[in-house]
Amino acid sequence: MNRREFIGFGIMALAVLPASLSALDYRKEKPAAWKAKTVDSALEALYGKQTYVEKGIKLKVPKVASNGGAIPVDIKTDIEAKSVAVFQDSNPESAVAVFTVPDGQPVNYSIKIKMKKSGAITIAVEGKDGKFYKISKSLEVALGGCEG
Amino acid sequence: MKIKAKEKDGIIKAKVMVKHDMLTYDVAKKKGKEANFITHLEAKVGDKVVYEISSSQFLSKNPIFKFTFKGAKKGDKLTVSWEDLKGTKKSGSKKIK
Repeated sequence: MNRREFIGFGIMALAVLPASLSALDYRKEKPAAWKAKTVDSALEALYGKQTYVEKGIKLKVPKVASNGGAIPVDIKTDIEAKSVAVFQDSNPESAVAVFTVPDGQPVNYSIKIKMKKSGAITIAVEGKDGKFYKISKSLEVALGGCEG
Repeated sequence: MKIKAKEKDGIIKAKVMVKHDMLTYDVAKKKGKEANFITHLEAKVGDKVVYEISSSQFLSKNPIFKFTFKGAKKGDKLTVSWEDLKGTKKSGSKKIK
Protein backbone atom coordinates (compact mmCIF):
# COMPACT_ATOMS: atom_id res chain seq x y z
CA MET A 1 0.00 0.00 0.00
CA ASN A 2 1.25 3.53 -0.52
CA ARG A 3 2.23 5.78 2.39
CA ARG A 4 -1.06 7.62 2.54
CA GLU A 5 -2.98 4.40 2.85
CA PHE A 6 -0.60 3.13 5.48
CA ILE A 7 -1.01 6.26 7.61
CA GLY A 8 -4.76 6.05 7.19
CA PHE A 9 -4.65 2.49 8.38
CA GLY A 10 -2.60 3.52 11.42
CA ILE A 11 -5.06 6.24 12.35
CA MET A 12 -7.95 3.84 11.98
CA ALA A 13 -6.29 1.42 14.36
CA LEU A 14 -5.77 4.19 16.93
CA ALA A 15 -9.39 5.26 16.73
CA VAL A 16 -10.47 1.90 18.07
CA LEU A 17 -8.48 2.29 21.28
CA PRO A 18 -10.01 3.93 24.39
CA ALA A 19 -9.64 7.69 24.63
CA SER A 20 -7.58 7.86 27.83
CA LEU A 21 -4.86 5.34 27.03
CA SER A 22 -3.01 6.09 30.22
CA ALA A 23 -5.98 5.62 32.58
CA LEU A 24 -4.97 2.88 34.93
CA ASP A 25 -6.58 2.43 38.32
CA TYR A 26 -3.91 0.64 40.32
CA ARG A 27 -6.35 -0.24 43.06
CA LYS A 28 -8.28 -2.33 40.57
CA GLU A 29 -5.24 -3.61 38.66
CA LYS A 30 -3.04 -4.58 41.62
CA PRO A 31 -5.24 -5.17 44.67
CA ALA A 32 -2.57 -7.18 46.52
CA ALA A 33 -0.19 -4.22 46.56
CA TRP A 34 -2.56 -2.24 48.80
CA LYS A 35 -2.79 -5.00 51.41
CA ALA A 36 0.94 -5.62 51.69
CA LYS A 37 2.41 -4.74 55.04
CA THR A 38 6.03 -4.11 54.16
CA VAL A 39 7.47 -1.82 51.51
CA ASP A 40 9.33 -4.70 49.84
CA SER A 41 6.27 -6.93 49.61
CA ALA A 42 4.16 -4.06 48.28
CA LEU A 43 6.83 -3.28 45.69
CA GLU A 44 6.88 -6.90 44.62
CA ALA A 45 3.08 -7.07 44.40
CA LEU A 46 3.11 -3.94 42.28
CA TYR A 47 6.11 -4.40 40.00
CA GLY A 48 7.22 -8.00 40.45
CA LYS A 49 10.78 -8.90 41.42
CA GLN A 50 12.93 -6.01 40.23
CA THR A 51 16.27 -4.42 40.98
CA TYR A 52 16.08 -0.75 41.74
CA VAL A 53 18.63 1.90 40.86
CA GLU A 54 18.88 4.42 43.67
CA LYS A 55 19.14 7.64 41.70
CA GLY A 56 17.25 10.02 39.51
CA ILE A 57 14.42 10.87 41.91
CA LYS A 58 14.14 14.00 44.01
CA LEU A 59 12.15 13.39 47.19
CA LYS A 60 11.42 16.21 49.59
CA VAL A 61 9.98 15.44 53.02
CA PRO A 62 10.35 17.31 56.30
CA LYS A 63 13.02 15.97 58.69
CA VAL A 64 10.51 16.25 61.48
CA ALA A 65 6.81 16.22 60.73
CA SER A 66 4.94 18.18 63.37
CA ASN A 67 1.61 16.76 62.26
CA GLY A 68 1.67 13.08 61.36
CA GLY A 69 -1.73 13.47 59.77
CA ALA A 70 -0.51 15.80 57.04
CA ILE A 71 3.09 15.22 56.00
CA PRO A 72 4.04 17.05 52.79
CA VAL A 73 5.74 14.83 50.22
CA ASP A 74 7.20 16.36 47.04
CA ILE A 75 8.33 14.10 44.23
CA LYS A 76 10.23 15.19 41.13
CA THR A 77 12.01 13.20 38.48
CA ASP A 78 13.25 13.61 34.92
CA ILE A 79 13.13 9.85 34.31
CA GLU A 80 10.58 9.07 31.60
CA ALA A 81 8.18 7.23 33.81
CA LYS A 82 5.20 4.96 33.39
CA SER A 83 4.27 5.04 37.06
CA VAL A 84 5.45 6.42 40.37
CA ALA A 85 4.63 4.65 43.65
CA VAL A 86 4.70 6.00 47.20
CA PHE A 87 5.20 3.79 50.27
CA GLN A 88 5.96 4.18 53.97
CA ASP A 89 6.79 1.71 56.70
CA SER A 90 4.92 3.20 59.67
CA ASN A 91 1.33 2.28 58.91
CA PRO A 92 -0.50 -1.08 58.91
CA GLU A 93 -0.16 -1.28 55.13
CA SER A 94 2.71 0.27 53.24
CA ALA A 95 1.23 1.46 49.92
CA VAL A 96 0.13 5.09 49.95
CA ALA A 97 -0.44 5.98 46.32
CA VAL A 98 0.48 5.04 42.75
CA PHE A 99 0.58 7.68 40.04
CA THR A 100 0.03 6.64 36.44
CA VAL A 101 2.19 9.01 34.43
CA PRO A 102 0.40 10.07 31.24
CA ASP A 103 2.58 9.97 28.11
CA GLY A 104 5.06 12.80 28.01
CA GLN A 105 3.87 14.51 31.17
CA PRO A 106 6.34 15.77 33.81
CA VAL A 107 6.58 14.16 37.21
CA ASN A 108 6.31 16.97 39.73
CA TYR A 109 3.88 15.86 42.38
CA SER A 110 2.95 17.08 45.86
CA ILE A 111 0.69 15.20 48.22
CA LYS A 112 0.15 15.08 51.97
CA ILE A 113 0.18 11.75 53.73
CA LYS A 114 -0.45 10.20 57.14
CA MET A 115 2.15 8.31 59.12
CA LYS A 116 1.44 6.72 62.48
CA LYS A 117 4.98 7.18 63.72
CA SER A 118 8.50 7.98 62.62
CA GLY A 119 9.73 5.91 59.71
CA ALA A 120 10.78 6.07 56.10
CA ILE A 121 9.04 7.08 52.90
CA THR A 122 10.01 5.24 49.72
CA ILE A 123 9.32 6.36 46.17
CA ALA A 124 9.64 3.89 43.29
CA VAL A 125 9.62 4.86 39.63
CA GLU A 126 8.80 2.46 36.81
CA GLY A 127 10.75 3.77 33.84
CA LYS A 128 9.64 3.54 30.25
CA ASP A 129 13.10 2.09 29.64
CA GLY A 130 12.07 -1.03 31.54
CA LYS A 131 14.29 -0.09 34.48
CA PHE A 132 13.16 0.66 38.01
CA TYR A 133 14.38 3.37 40.34
CA LYS A 134 13.77 4.23 43.97
CA ILE A 135 14.68 6.51 46.82
CA SER A 136 13.95 6.43 50.56
CA LYS A 137 14.08 9.12 53.19
CA SER A 138 13.57 8.80 56.93
CA LEU A 139 11.66 11.26 58.97
CA GLU A 140 10.53 11.76 62.52
CA VAL A 141 6.88 12.19 63.29
CA ALA A 142 6.23 14.36 66.32
CA LEU A 143 2.52 13.61 66.62
CA GLY A 144 1.35 10.31 65.12
CA GLY A 145 -1.27 10.84 62.50
CA CYS A 146 -3.72 8.14 61.67
CA GLU A 147 -6.22 9.59 64.09
CA GLY A 148 -8.68 11.30 61.66
CA MET B 1 -13.64 20.66 45.17
CA LYS B 2 -11.40 23.60 44.47
CA ILE B 3 -9.31 23.58 41.34
CA LYS B 4 -6.59 26.07 40.49
CA ALA B 5 -4.66 25.89 37.25
CA LYS B 6 -2.23 28.44 35.91
CA GLU B 7 -0.26 28.28 32.69
CA LYS B 8 3.19 29.80 32.31
CA ASP B 9 5.75 29.10 29.61
CA GLY B 10 3.82 26.10 28.39
CA ILE B 11 3.67 24.41 31.81
CA ILE B 12 0.42 24.34 33.75
CA LYS B 13 0.67 24.26 37.54
CA ALA B 14 -2.42 22.73 39.10
CA LYS B 15 -3.71 22.43 42.65
CA VAL B 16 -6.80 20.41 43.52
CA MET B 17 -8.33 20.46 47.00
CA VAL B 18 -11.03 17.92 47.80
CA LYS B 19 -13.20 17.77 50.90
CA HIS B 20 -13.08 14.17 52.04
CA ASP B 21 -12.65 12.57 55.47
CA MET B 22 -10.24 9.93 54.13
CA LEU B 23 -11.31 7.72 57.02
CA THR B 24 -8.85 4.90 57.69
CA TYR B 25 -9.93 1.38 58.67
CA ASP B 26 -8.43 1.85 62.16
CA VAL B 27 -10.18 5.12 62.94
CA ALA B 28 -13.43 3.97 61.35
CA LYS B 29 -13.46 0.95 63.62
CA LYS B 30 -12.94 3.12 66.71
CA LYS B 31 -15.74 5.47 65.68
CA GLY B 32 -18.10 2.69 64.66
CA LYS B 33 -18.17 3.97 61.09
CA GLU B 34 -17.20 2.48 57.74
CA ALA B 35 -13.81 3.30 56.29
CA ASN B 36 -14.04 5.52 53.26
CA PHE B 37 -11.37 7.33 51.28
CA ILE B 38 -10.64 8.46 47.75
CA THR B 39 -9.25 5.54 45.77
CA HIS B 40 -8.76 7.15 42.37
CA LEU B 41 -8.53 10.66 40.98
CA GLU B 42 -7.81 11.82 37.47
CA ALA B 43 -7.46 15.17 35.75
CA LYS B 44 -8.20 15.62 32.05
CA VAL B 45 -8.08 18.31 29.43
CA GLY B 46 -10.60 17.24 26.83
CA ASP B 47 -9.99 13.54 26.23
CA LYS B 48 -6.42 13.62 27.44
CA VAL B 49 -5.58 12.41 30.95
CA VAL B 50 -2.90 14.73 32.38
CA TYR B 51 -2.68 13.39 35.95
CA GLU B 52 -3.81 10.21 37.59
CA ILE B 53 -3.44 8.82 41.08
CA SER B 54 -4.63 5.60 42.71
CA SER B 55 -4.74 6.32 46.42
CA SER B 56 -5.26 4.87 49.87
CA GLN B 57 -6.47 5.63 53.38
CA PHE B 58 -3.06 7.18 54.00
CA LEU B 59 -3.59 10.43 52.18
CA SER B 60 -4.45 13.26 54.56
CA LYS B 61 -7.98 14.36 55.32
CA ASN B 62 -9.26 16.91 52.79
CA PRO B 63 -6.43 15.96 50.46
CA ILE B 64 -4.55 18.42 48.30
CA PHE B 65 -3.08 17.28 45.01
CA LYS B 66 -0.45 19.42 43.29
CA PHE B 67 0.95 18.57 39.88
CA THR B 68 2.16 20.07 36.63
CA PHE B 69 1.41 19.17 33.03
CA LYS B 70 1.94 20.29 29.43
CA GLY B 71 -0.07 20.35 26.27
CA ALA B 72 -2.84 22.71 27.22
CA LYS B 73 -3.31 26.46 27.10
CA LYS B 74 -5.07 29.28 28.93
CA GLY B 75 -8.80 28.94 28.52
CA ASP B 76 -8.74 25.14 28.22
CA LYS B 77 -10.89 23.37 30.76
CA LEU B 78 -9.25 21.14 33.36
CA THR B 79 -11.71 18.50 34.58
CA VAL B 80 -11.02 16.53 37.75
CA SER B 81 -12.95 13.38 38.69
CA TRP B 82 -12.55 11.16 41.73
CA GLU B 83 -14.04 7.99 43.10
CA ASP B 84 -14.00 6.68 46.66
CA LEU B 85 -14.17 3.28 48.32
CA LYS B 86 -17.96 3.44 48.66
CA GLY B 87 -18.28 4.14 44.94
CA THR B 88 -19.18 7.82 45.21
CA LYS B 89 -17.99 9.72 42.14
CA LYS B 90 -17.56 13.46 41.90
CA SER B 91 -16.31 15.80 39.21
CA GLY B 92 -15.37 19.43 38.88
CA SER B 93 -13.73 21.65 36.32
CA LYS B 94 -11.99 24.99 35.96
CA LYS B 95 -10.56 26.96 33.07
CA ILE B 96 -6.80 27.21 32.98
CA LYS B 97 -5.72 30.79 33.72
